[in-house]
This record gives sequence, C-alpha cells and structure tokens, in this order.
Amino acid sequence: MLVYFAFVLGIGFALKRYMRTSNDFFLAGRSIPAWVCGLAFISANLGAQEVIGMGASGAKYGIVTSHFYWIGAVPAMVFVGVFMMPFYYGSRARSVPEYLRMRFDEKTRAVNAFSFAIMTVFSSGISMYAMALLIQTLGLFHGIIPDAYIFHVSVLLSAVIVLGYIFLGGLTSAIYNEVLQFFLIVAGFGPLVWIGLRNVGGWEGIKRTLPVTMTRSWHGMEHASTNSLGVEWVGLVMGLGFVLSFGYWCTDFLVVQRAMAADSEESARRVPLIAAIPKMFFPFLVILPGLIAVTVTSHMAAPSAPAAERAPAVNAAHQALPEGPGRPHGLIPVKTDPRSGKPEFDSDGNPVYNYDLAIPVMLLHFFPSGILGLGLTALLASFMSGMAGNVTAFNTVWTYDIYQAYINKRGTDQHYLWMGRMATIGGIVLSIGAAYAVTSFNNIMDALQLVFSLVNAPLFATFLLGMFWKRTTGHGAFSGLIAGTGAALVHHGLTLPVGALPGLHGGWITVIHGYPSDMAQNFWTAIFAFSVNLIVTVLVSLVTRPRNEAELVGLVYSLTPKPVEEHLSWWQKPATLGIAVLVMLVALNLIFR
Amino acid sequence: MGLDIRVPLGLIFLFTGGMMSVYGLFTRNSAIYEKSMGVNLNLGWGLMMVAFGAVMFFFGRRQKWQDDPVSPRPWERGDGPRR
Repeated sequence: MLVYFAFVLGIGFALKRYMRTSNDFFLAGRSIPAWVCGLAFISANLGAQEVIGMGASGAKYGIVTSHFYWIGAVPAMVFVGVFMMPFYYGSRARSVPEYLRMRFDEKTRAVNAFSFAIMTVFSSGISMYAMALLIQTLGLFHGIIPDAYIFHVSVLLSAVIVLGYIFLGGLTSAIYNEVLQFFLIVAGFGPLVWIGLRNVGGWEGIKRTLPVTMTRSWHGMEHASTNSLGVEWVGLVMGLGFVLSFGYWCTDFLVVQRAMAADSEESARRVPLIAAIPKMFFPFLVILPGLIAVTVTSHMAAPSAPAAERAPAVNAAHQALPEGPGRPHGLIPVKTDPRSGKPEFDSDGNPVYNYDLAIPVMLLHFFPSGILGLGLTALLASFMSGMAGNVTAFNTVWTYDIYQAYINKRGTDQHYLWMGRMATIGGIVLSIGAAYAVTSFNNIMDALQLVFSLVNAPLFATFLLGMFWKRTTGHGAFSGLIAGTGAALVHHGLTLPVGALPGLHGGWITVIHGYPSDMAQNFWTAIFAFSVNLIVTVLVSLVTRPRNEAELVGLVYSLTPKPVEEHLSWWQKPATLGIAVLVMLVALNLIFR
Repeated sequence: MGLDIRVPLGLIFLFTGGMMSVYGLFTRNSAIYEKSMGVNLNLGWGLMMVAFGAVMFFFGRRQKWQDDPVSPRPWERGDGPRR
C-alpha cells in the first residue's frame, strides 16, 4: 500500500514539467494569488523542525510548545503583513538582502546575504538528515535496498526530487508544491488527531492523565523552575515572542519571498495574515499528536497490546514522564550509524528517549494500511516543503546578492537564470554535506533555534531601525549587525544549560552562568544579540552622516506615503484582518492558559 | 502559467482519496481496523478527500478565463500589478 506515496510524488513530477515555461524563476512573476502564497508561506516553514520537532516537544514539554505558534509566530506574522510588507514589496527589491542594500549599503547586504545563504543550506540539510533518519528508522525501504544504504539513498532521493521540481519551475513550482504539501499534511494528520483523541478520551482524557504543566500553556511561567520549558515568562515573551519570532518572520527571506511573489501589494500584505490563521491551528495538528503519544500508553494497558509493542518510543515517552519536567541531559549523541539497534543510555544509566519519533510512531500505531500511506506521505511532504523553501531562497540570494553583486555584474538575464539553476544544484549539494554534518543534537529544533538565535536575532533590530528611524545609517547598521552576532556568540560561549557539556551547547569560552534549559539559553542569547545590535546601531548612526532623505522614499516609514486603501472596503484592509487574527489568538491563549 | 493550482490539487485528492475509498470498501470488517479502534478510516476519510478534491477541481476548472484562452490573463496585461 505504500506504493502510492511514490505515486503522489510521481504526480508532483508531472506537474513540474507543466510549469517549465515560467521564466520568472526567482519571483514567480509576482503573479500568484494571495491565498496560494499564504499557504506556501506557512508550508515553506513547515519543514522538519515543525512536524517532527513540534511533535517531539509536544511529547516532551506538553502544550507549552504551542507558544512557538501563538507567541512565536502569529504576532510577528501580523506585524510583517501590516507594517513591513509595503517596504519589501513597494521598494521593488528582489530579495531581503537587496532591500538592505537599498536602505543601507553594500556591506550590510553582504553580511546578510552570506549568513543567510549559509543558514538556508544548513536548514535544508537538517531537513534532509531528519527525513533520511526517519525513513531508515521506520524501515520504509526495507527489503528493497540493503539496510546499510538506506540513509544515503534517502538523502539522495529527496535531494533529487526537490532538485527536479525547483530546477524546472523555480519559485512557482516550489510554491505550488508547497500548497499541495500543505493540504496533504492536513489530510494526513487530521484523522490521526481525531482517532488519537477518541482513543484517549478527548482533551479531558489528556488532562486527566498528564501533569498540569503539560496541558496548560501558561502554567508556572512565573519562574523557570516551575514549568516544563525551563523558561520564565520574560524570556519567553521577549526572547521567543519578540526577538526570535520577529527576527524570523519579518526578515527571513525564506518566508518573505513567498509574500513577494504575490500579485499586488495588497495581496502581499494579506499573505502573512492569511497564513496566520491556519498557523494558529497547527498546534492541534502537530503538537497534539505528541501529547497523545505520551497519553496513550499510560491509558490503555490492556487493549490492543500487540499494537503497543510496535510503538517502543511511545512507551519510552511514557516512562520519561515520572522524571518530571526536567529534560534528560548528557545524552550520548546520535552519532555514526544512528540505528545500530542498541539502546542508548545517558551517564546515569537511564535510557535516552527519542522524542523525535512521537509523530511517526503515532502514525504506525493508529493507521491501518491504506491511510498509513497517506500519513507517511504527509510526513515526507513536510520535509520536502521545508527543504524546497530553503533551496529557493538560497538560489535567489546567491544569484542576486552574491553572484550578481560580486562575481559577474553584467550578465544577461538568461545568464542569471542559468546561474539560478546552477545555484539550485549547488545549494542541494551543499545541503547534502550539511545533512551529514548535523548529528549532535537529540532534538532537531534546539539545533535550529541555535542557528536562528545566532544569525537572525540581531537582524530584526537592524530592520526595525532601518524601517522606522530615518536617521539610521549604513555604518550603524553594519556595525550593529556585527556586534549583535558577536554578542550572540560570546553569550553562547559564556553560558551553559544545566547538565550539558561545554562545546556545541555553549560554554566554550568559560561558564559564568547556567540556564535551566537550552531553550532558555537560546532565548536569552537572542535577547542579548538584539539589545547589543540596537544600542550599537543607534550609537554609530548618531556619529555618522545620515543619507539624503530623498533617497529613502519608499524605504522608511516616515518618508513613504501610506498605502492607499480607499478602494478597499473595511473588511478587505490588512489592518482589519490583522486585528481579527490577534483577537482569535488571545482567545486561544485564554482557552489553553 | 495558465495552470490553476486547484486543478492539480483536486486531482491529487481525487486520486488518493479514490484509492483509499476503494481499498476501504474491499477491506470492510477486516482485522486491520483494530488499530484504528474499529473505524474504517480508509473509507471514511477517503470519501472526504474525494469530496474535497472534487470541489477544488470543479472550482479550478470553472474559472471563466479558462474557457477563454485568447484574452490576456490579469497578470499579462501591460505592466499589470507590478509597481
């Protein structure tokens, strides 16, 4: 029955060939309707870190994980739609680094372009790695390919598929695929949540079984030691909700690119707002399965025992519960041959639980063959969409902001198109390299958060000042960015989450402060980076000469005519939609507080 | 880019949903549904997917300009919405 998920990929392939005529490789001709872009907007972000990472965190931390959506995404998406999109779209910049060049200067753009290019390669590498590991763990190709090669074959296969459709159709093809993937993911996980909830007796059943810290998202947020994330609310709201999420959603070209492909400025502004609505409900699709996975085995000891045997990680997740909210640390990293079959133990002799398997195991547990194929397809689709998003962002930034800016300034358009295709290949090859490099974190999301907090966190301060303070200068922005990233590095080097070994987890300079969890460390790293950037940018801007105001029209808030909205009725205006989204958000937070 | 995303989207759902429903129809009362607590997920969800696919396909095809390949698409008219 698994035959047909290959079938779905086959359809995908046929589609791509359809769209080869599109020569607007990088921006999809700016002709995509808002709702399509909106779905692509979240789908591009819905990579490995979402589905696997959120499921894992759901099983590990509980419903608190929804903060990554409700605090850590939706407000930022509203902000980017209502306030920032006019500058991105209206300035006719083709990429985020290009906006930086128009607003500031060449060197600011260079820093952003290079760091961004490296980051996308890593993210797509992580996606690829996670997917290959998953395929290997679940034994999907068991019997077709020798076991020893499954990991490598999966990496190559996913690379070739993504390469195929981006190479042929560019951003259009990536966006169309992301929309397909979005619906597949919903179709695949919807019934999983439904049947899972039925099994454990609904939300009430989960609440009865799990400790209160796991079923209430704001419980114990006053202090780091009383909630399962190990973060107090200041760190959560400032670190995740403000710095990290605004840094990601407002400046990351990966997502902004989707909105820039929209067919008009109004559409572009509506894109993140439309995306915010499904985003709000995604916790129910990806976090809830994690929670259910933890609940299930503690609930149904006797019935369907054979099925339970097929779900070792569910049992594992259950046993992890009595340890309380603390995370298992000092893990033996999943290095080399990750599935030798031997259980891993931490330094205290406790088995190390692979939370990343929460969702896949749920699929195997509840789905009979047939719909199981759909579920697994959905899972793979999510990996593909995350990878494709990174690759399209990479090829655009590489071609426009690195190749065109520094290597070949006077190529023809055809030449740049060719370069874009080459960059697609190059990006994927580099991602494969990254996939093999990424293995030392147990929880994929922690690794990504680390990368984001080092690169993205200071960025938002630059954009905020650049867009809303006309006095900001190029030198200021540049030195602020460098100082911010430097601060992030130093902070990361000086602190260490409790129980971790110095090294990749931090503390490689010397340990002067310990955080209760690496989540808390990430959030505070971001806060430091942001503040340092803000201060340095303001200071340097004040001592350097500002740019002529006439040059900044369309790039800075106070110098740009407000978008004309008279022809839109009140319910069509982005601000109205934004407010509606925020009201829904508050309601959700109150329900699950 | 005359391809409306809803057409392929509808097709995928029609295909997979159809396959699942048929499979579900033939495996009624089979032991495989013990896993999903006796619910025939293939049939039920498959039919829902078919319905969704049909709606998407229908709307994708119904667009007026699909019947009129001669006149320019909104984005092909002049400089269009770019500014």
